[in-house]
Amino acid sequence: MFTRGALLYIGQRLVLIVFTAVAVSSIVFLGVHRLPGDALLNERRPDPAAEAALLHYYHLDLPLPEQYVRYVTGLLHGDLGESYVNRGVQITPLLLREARVSAEVGAAALVFTIGLGVLLGVIAAVRQNTWVDYLATTTSIIGYSMPNFVIASLLFLLFGVALYSWTGGALFYNSGWTGNYGTLDQILVPGFALGFPYASIVARLTRASMLEVIRQDYVRTARAKGLTGRVVIVRHALRNALIPVVTILGPLVIGIVTGSVVIENIFGIPGLGKEFAASILNRDYNIVIGLFTFYAIIIALANLLVDLLYTVIDPRIRY
Amino acid sequence: MTQPALQVKDLKTQFFTDDGVVQAVDGVSFDLHPGETLGIVGESGCGKSVTALSILRLVQEPGRIVNGQILFKGDDIVTMSDEEVREIRGKDIAMIFQDPLSSLNPVLTVGFQIEEAIEAHGKVPGKMALSRAVALLKQVRIPAAESRVHDYPHQFSGGMRQRAMIAMGLANSPSILIADEPTTALDVTVQAQILELLRDLNRDLKTAIILITHNMGVVASLCTRVLVMYAGRIVEQGPVEQIFKDPQHPYTWSLLQSIPRLDSDRHDRLLSIEGFPPDLIRPPRGCRFHPRCQFKIDRCLHDDPPLLNVGPDQDAACWVTMRRALASNGERRG
Repeated sequence: MFTRGALLYIGQRLVLIVFTAVAVSSIVFLGVHRLPGDALLNERRPDPAAEAALLHYYHLDLPLPEQYVRYVTGLLHGDLGESYVNRGVQITPLLLREARVSAEVGAAALVFTIGLGVLLGVIAAVRQNTWVDYLATTTSIIGYSMPNFVIASLLFLLFGVALYSWTGGALFYNSGWTGNYGTLDQILVPGFALGFPYASIVARLTRASMLEVIRQDYVRTARAKGLTGRVVIVRHALRNALIPVVTILGPLVIGIVTGSVVIENIFGIPGLGKEFAASILNRDYNIVIGLFTFYAIIIALANLLVDLLYTVIDPRIRY
Repeated sequence: MTQPALQVKDLKTQFFTDDGVVQAVDGVSFDLHPGETLGIVGESGCGKSVTALSILRLVQEPGRIVNGQILFKGDDIVTMSDEEVREIRGKDIAMIFQDPLSSLNPVLTVGFQIEEAIEAHGKVPGKMALSRAVALLKQVRIPAAESRVHDYPHQFSGGMRQRAMIAMGLANSPSILIADEPTTALDVTVQAQILELLRDLNRDLKTAIILITHNMGVVASLCTRVLVMYAGRIVEQGPVEQIFKDPQHPYTWSLLQSIPRLDSDRHDRLLSIEGFPPDLIRPPRGCRFHPRCQFKIDRCLHDDPPLLNVGPDQDAACWVTMRRALASNGERRG
């Protein structure tokens, strides 16, 4: 499927991602060490001997350059160190486990973003200037006018309060971490709250793009061939209309990743976003640095994926 | 006389714009006989393309066919259900367009787009559709068709794209092929090749061709009969040789006069038709050509001439006709 040139390109991008990860973690590493306070501040101050032992345990008594070298060496081996707050908890496996949870919610959000967005956009374009178009357009205006936490709160009211007898409150992850994946009804509502604002952006873009494409000569050719209306729209118009939509997919994924920090905290989902807020409040700096690095890698990979998606959807683009 | 392959009767297609109703096609009637090559000529905006699109009901909003009949095998395309028209499109009547690059879908392979045309009119096993696509590409003389069938349109040259379009049009062996300015976007040598291809297809497959163009030379090289359109109407029609030798409508005459000729004196200025095509929202009263006509008489200003027989098989919508106009000019000079 990929040519030699494409594989070379992917290789280059992956190398760049490693550099990005190191650069991001270096900046955060140095930034965090400039911050006042440390992990020990949260607790009652231990006696000086115990404190010294703790600092030694975490190698915090070493000079900063030496700490940094240790950190980067660990990073390159995939080792993000140990939590300051929960002693003995290794950060890499912790984040990987939480990433699975976040990935579920993120995937649900992405399904809503693309699925709902494209659907609304196509319907609005095909039925341009009818009540269907106005309904779809109004829906998307509502979507991108509301921040995700407002949508989340409204969904709480709807499913958690008004429809409690139906849902039984089955919208939330158990507050205690069970290590299991969430069930579908647990991910759908947070996924929707996270994805809907972006779905609205996708809907608007898809509508505009579709309206342009259905006036193209090749769509007329497709109709002149005797293809059915559905085939003309899906195969000929939509595929071309999606090219600009793919362009904004990169920023959208970033939006979903960052938005998950808010959504996971609202819904109590034990994912990366919840950890992100908790680790900062706890001054668990190793986790903070690790998370930033993790996010940097995810976003870089998402952008790479989007760029590769281009070549799948548009044969004129080759690397 | 054989039964016509297609009969267009008093076709009126209008565009309902914010500025008013554009009478793009205003009462066009003609017959197309099986295996015939019919040219429709006229300036941009004279309604020739809209006529062609109307035949397959491909006119887009805000355009609408408001009157007339388009009879194909005894059925009226104008009043058919969408599904019935879809069955005819690409199967009985195929259409190819002006710009082959924009008319082919950039994200699908040429072969796929041809296979699709075949499969739109009946289930065909994938392998058979592919081999048919290759055969069609060979028929339109695309070299290395077996490998080129997997190429995308942007990997084809302009001429090859138009060949591929023609192959797509021929996919279901239609009885009528409508070619809307098929050579306009191509350079001259490629134009000649495409016209030759169309001529061969007409001869070998007996496909009737409606060729829409603004180029009189293209008509001369391919068609046996020609309709001249002006401002949404047919102003003259007849056999090509007759029309070229002895045009009766001043518009046809001027069109022919405005073709540059190699044997004319270089210092003579090329004749052009003064003025612009009329506004089709508010067309002029009387003959629509009268504001630009150098032979007009008083009657032309208020009385709209119908198509009148002016020679064997030749009709012109003119009160004056060139025969009389040139004769009276001669008198005045004499």
